[in-house]
Amino acid sequence: MMMLLFVLPKETFSAQEKRELSSFPEINADTIMDARFQNELDTYLSDHIPARNFFVGTSACLELAEGRNGSKGIYLGSDGYLFPEPTKPTDNLKKNAGFIKEFADDSDIPVYMTVVPSSGFINGTKLPLLHEGYNDEELITDFRKSLGKNVIFTDVTDRLEEKANLSQLYYKTDHHWTSAGAYECYCELGNTMGYKPVPESSFNKEKVDGFYGTSYSKSALWFMQPDTIELWTNKEQPADSVSVEITDGKDKKSAKSYFFREQLSNDDKYPVFLDGNHSIERIINTNADGGNIIVLKDSYAHTFVPFLSQNYREIIMVDMRYYKKDISALAEKEGAEAILILYSLDNLSSDNNLAYLF
Amino acid sequence: MVFSSLVFLFLFLPIVLALYYLTPKRFRNVTLFAVDLVFYAWGEPVFVILMMVSIIINYIAGILLGKFRERKTLSKWILIADVAVNLGLLGSFKYAGFIGETLNVVLPFLNLPVIEVALPIGISFYTFQTMSYTIDVYRNTVKVQKNFIAFGTYVSLFPQLIAGPIVRYEDVASQMMDRHENLEQFTKGVKLFLVGLAKKILIANEMGCLWDTIRNSAGESGALGAWVGIIAYTFQIYFDFSGYSDMAIGLGRMFGFEFIKNFDYPYISKSITEFWRRWHISLGTWFREYVYIPLGGNRKGLGRQIINLGVVWFLTGLWHGASWNFILWGLYFGVILVFEKMFLLKVLKKAPAVVSHIYSLLLIVLGWVLFYFEDMGKLGEFAARLFGADGFAMSGSVAVTVVSYLPLLIAAAVASTPLAAFLYKKIKSKPVLYVIDNSACILSLLLCTSKLVSSAYNPFLYFKF
Repeated sequence: MMMLLFVLPKETFSAQEKRELSSFPEINADTIMDARFQNELDTYLSDHIPARNFFVGTSACLELAEGRNGSKGIYLGSDGYLFPEPTKPTDNLKKNAGFIKEFADDSDIPVYMTVVPSSGFINGTKLPLLHEGYNDEELITDFRKSLGKNVIFTDVTDRLEEKANLSQLYYKTDHHWTSAGAYECYCELGNTMGYKPVPESSFNKEKVDGFYGTSYSKSALWFMQPDTIELWTNKEQPADSVSVEITDGKDKKSAKSYFFREQLSNDDKYPVFLDGNHSIERIINTNADGGNIIVLKDSYAHTFVPFLSQNYREIIMVDMRYYKKDISALAEKEGAEAILILYSLDNLSSDNNLAYLF
Repeated sequence: MVFSSLVFLFLFLPIVLALYYLTPKRFRNVTLFAVDLVFYAWGEPVFVILMMVSIIINYIAGILLGKFRERKTLSKWILIADVAVNLGLLGSFKYAGFIGETLNVVLPFLNLPVIEVALPIGISFYTFQTMSYTIDVYRNTVKVQKNFIAFGTYVSLFPQLIAGPIVRYEDVASQMMDRHENLEQFTKGVKLFLVGLAKKILIANEMGCLWDTIRNSAGESGALGAWVGIIAYTFQIYFDFSGYSDMAIGLGRMFGFEFIKNFDYPYISKSITEFWRRWHISLGTWFREYVYIPLGGNRKGLGRQIINLGVVWFLTGLWHGASWNFILWGLYFGVILVFEKMFLLKVLKKAPAVVSHIYSLLLIVLGWVLFYFEDMGKLGEFAARLFGADGFAMSGSVAVTVVSYLPLLIAAAVASTPLAAFLYKKIKSKPVLYVIDNSACILSLLLCTSKLVSSAYNPFLYFKF
């Protein structure tokens, strides 16, 4: 083992953990005297030990065998599902509701909002026998109550629960919803936002295999089967009607599709939808009837926005982690007719960038 | 350096074993002394000097005691001076802050500055070892060790340096100069080491997690959860400490040493008297040999015996840490032991086994409450919780955690009894034993390594947003 450790080439990046592995610690009199070298050497060893994944996986299996399903923050459910732990009530949730309420009270254009419940809540029947409670419905209802009357809130929970038996609305190895899940939300939102959703039969579903999501990485249960990603395209939509413009500070790039297929060759395939997280993305569909809308969002929106784009000519998708400017000013400048806020419950309870709304 | 780390298991130990066995027999103490110092300096680069000072002083004291053996008064003063220096070092590094704080409370006008000294690891253990040597030289029960390397190796011997057992010089004097390392002993050592490693990593650490979760859940655990929590701690401390002792004894064997047993299934005791004969045996022996018996033990009447017990248990408590709760914990056992000596032992002997087991376990577990909480406020809060101050039932999420640890709690309870050892001894067939031994060793190493590697497995999911 020791020999292997010296001989084998060292990786510098762990694809599974999506982080840089530690480099060999600096060795000199100072780092030895304050024991920094000694401490970092241990980290270095555990990062670079041969067959590291095997050991991590063995440990995960041991915990499972001991009856501690969920010890790594991920439950192993039935039917090949992995579920992140439930969202706990936080003060942040209340705070964010306050920010959004204040923003909507001052807004001249309608502010719509929806919150995506977690996979564990929607697929409750697939959870293991012993698990902590998923209180998504309660949390979302409480959150909604503190938003006030100026936020037009759509609760998608019931619809998702209802459809969960019919199709796979969330990935099995990832916390995100699937295209089918996002589509249900798109249909439900049509009722409140006043657009007519494109029927499911109009979509061509392209299947891509071999997606291992974040729940998979975290669980270290390497025996799980990968997910299939579905890319839904409207058969009647002319190919040249779509354009996506991405802006990250001064960097700009553009594309002619909602789907960034080059991302499919990466370990993390979810960014195939709208190329993952960026400060601002402008999604244009010259074939759509509707006008111009701003979407404030987390990554759940990446699957959802291609659907919404069927009904809006121009969507300005803003990620508030990177975009720290005034949203009202942006709406005015763009002449947006509405704002949609779409977050997953989990991120909503942990994110603290909504303070930048004004 | 701790044994339960990748650096120790996969770098230090293989290198040290190779060096040791490549060294010609007569120089092996030199190699061992050198690696001892590296081992100690690994975590405590500065305090290795303190340990060297302690070694030198006690080495010289030993020589002087041997030289002036005939001059009773002089040798007595040498011993007193040596013990004073030893206790002085221990006092100034371990108890300075505590003494300062206490004096400030009692005599506030002194307004002493409270010095915060980092505790040099293992100082309580090696100070007691060096004292066992000089006291025994004074009593003329052991020979003076003139070989500095051999003496230094004894004091700093890395297997028992930082968490015991407290090896009395008397027990290893001959081994220091002449060891017969052999394959059979080495194999036994490896097996015991792996048993200890498994106790520490697979049981103690997990019990620690459960205890932390429950303790931090505040009132949510209720009385029921609080009991589960303190029971988890009861297991944690036993498997941690006895696991460490097993590893120490096992490592000792790999280098040709035999140390005395330190734990003997303490939780199966039927009285507290029995518990202390089974728990941290080397410490109990030390206090008996060097404090209790010199004070007169039980030979000077009941009144004097009670005082002697009081002194011993005050010191035993204090030895465990510089805080009042440890003293309280020591005296708690002192009082129980006095009661047992006076009449309780007789009662317990007549009582059904179940009663004496419950009696002992209950007192042991409650003892750990005193032992754990250094902060008296938190101690009171937790004790109140045990008796229903925050209700009796657990909240949902605490209950989920407790139930998920149930299999491990049961495993820990079974592993606290000699059942496995009993069954193991029943197997007479050599090939079966061979298979069991080897697969258990491989499994232990595999699972422990997995746990160690996994504890640093930390997916940084930046795209989780």
